Amino acid sequence: MKLAVISCIHGNIEALDAVLADIDQQKADEIYSLGDLVGYGPYPNEVARKIRSLDIPSCQGCWDEDIVDGLNACECSYPSQLAEHRGRLAHEWTDKEIHPEVREYLATLPITLKKDNLCFVHGSPNSQHEYLLPSMDGFAALERVLSTDADVLFCGHTHVPYERKLENASLSVKVSETESGDASQQFQVPLKRIINAGSVGEPRHGRPNATYVIYDTDAAQVTLREVEYDYKKTCQAIIDRGLPPIFAWRLAQGLEFAERADDPTHVCER
Amino acid sequence: MQWAILSGIEGNLAAYEAVLKDLRQLRQSVTDLYVLGDVIGLQGNHEGDNEAVIRRLRHPETGELKPQVCVGWWEEQCFSLHGMSGIPDAPELMAAVGGNGVKALWDSVSRKSVQWLRSQHFGFHEFDCLLIHGSMAGYADELTPETSAIELCDRLIRADANHLFCGRSGRTFECWVTPTQLHSTVTTLDGPQPTQDQSKSPRRIIGVGSVGRHSGEATYTLYSSGSNQLSFRTVNYKQMQYAKTKREKAKGFGSQ
Repeated sequence: MKLAVISCIHGNIEALDAVLADIDQQKADEIYSLGDLVGYGPYPNEVARKIRSLDIPSCQGCWDEDIVDGLNACECSYPSQLAEHRGRLAHEWTDKEIHPEVREYLATLPITLKKDNLCFVHGSPNSQHEYLLPSMDGFAALERVLSTDADVLFCGHTHVPYERKLENASLSVKVSETESGDASQQFQVPLKRIINAGSVGEPRHGRPNATYVIYDTDAAQVTLREVEYDYKKTCQAIIDRGLPPIFAWRLAQGLEFAERADDPTHVCER
Repeated sequence: MQWAILSGIEGNLAAYEAVLKDLRQLRQSVTDLYVLGDVIGLQGNHEGDNEAVIRRLRHPETGELKPQVCVGWWEEQCFSLHGMSGIPDAPELMAAVGGNGVKALWDSVSRKSVQWLRSQHFGFHEFDCLLIHGSMAGYADELTPETSAIELCDRLIRADANHLFCGRSGRTFECWVTPTQLHSTVTTLDGPQPTQDQSKSPRRIIGVGSVGRHSGEATYTLYSSGSNQLSFRTVNYKQMQYAKTKREKAKGFGSQ
């Protein structure tokens, strides 16, 4: 079976339509969405309605959560004060534009989806805000997969697609306890995978093209897809609809202004 | 340098006094006193014990060390009750102790004391050690010897420390975790990236015990930061006697 996994559409209907057309060409049997249907982009209602009308199962992303619950994360969600300021402007614009039934739909989205040995989340199993970067410590990354009881963990949130194989892991633990004495255990894990679906509507891999992944469950094969579309139309709509122009610039560059969080694995507890 | 590391007084003033007495009787004096949260709770014998424990921590007697305190589960519940955290109405506390327990905590800690508790630390990074109530995953994270190996490993990575001292479980234990092998391959749109073979030197998680949770028996930990030696102590405070546990010494880590 061929699965298409999409993430971080961010109100970019042009990119979503192009990706859906590419998924048809790839003859995928099912589509899963990892959330962030809204935010940054000019068409949040249209994107959410399309995902809903096509019955595409979707997780709730951090932007979807913020539109439902209000901005409640601390400044740790952003890599800098400038990024926080811009993010807040985009949130306020989206919050004003979003239709009530779309907000209700976003509230129904689950944090995690599962299918057989596959698990789908937005950021990580811990939080919609946690970044699973490809450079993350391998053992920490492995813990995220194992915490889901899945063999393959699909995530988004970083906006850069990748596949990471974690193989032949072994750990040993030696315990000394006052009550029950000494004990030791060996822990071994066969192959696990993290697959990041990239971003349909706000890519950050250095080009403006939309990205997503195809996963063949029979062959356990991953294909990272990059789809060209008319991103200039979305850039113009960002400006025309009154969103901060920086988001049009970012979309055209496929970059996040070179900002990086100090601690991408930090989980805000608010 | 010898540290005394305590956790979980839980409003049990008698237990805390017993531990302080034990510290005074040590052959090698303690240079630093850490209290890893849960200074308040419902283990006190008298109505005013939570306030008395806080006073005792804030104003040590002449010749006593000033404790370095971080917040724990009970403090977080208090912040929630007083509208000082993101989660209102302390649902965790309600689930754990019910309405009467919530009222008892509310009645036993003044607003002024809650504000002082709010100003305390989240944890302490000293040398290659992290001292914290739960873990970097959260104040309620309860690490025990039964916690899965990969979770223990993850908590050590998040701690960015060789020795993680924690108090949430209330137990005294020492877990050496050795991540021996991991093969990692990343493929991006630019193709396969260089593979990584990871392994790490052994690191450990230490449960520091609980001063006040178990009536009549307080446990805490002594740690020599120079030699990495660890000893768990048990103080039976009704009899005002203590007995050292069989784990007097732990393997050093400095040579790893």
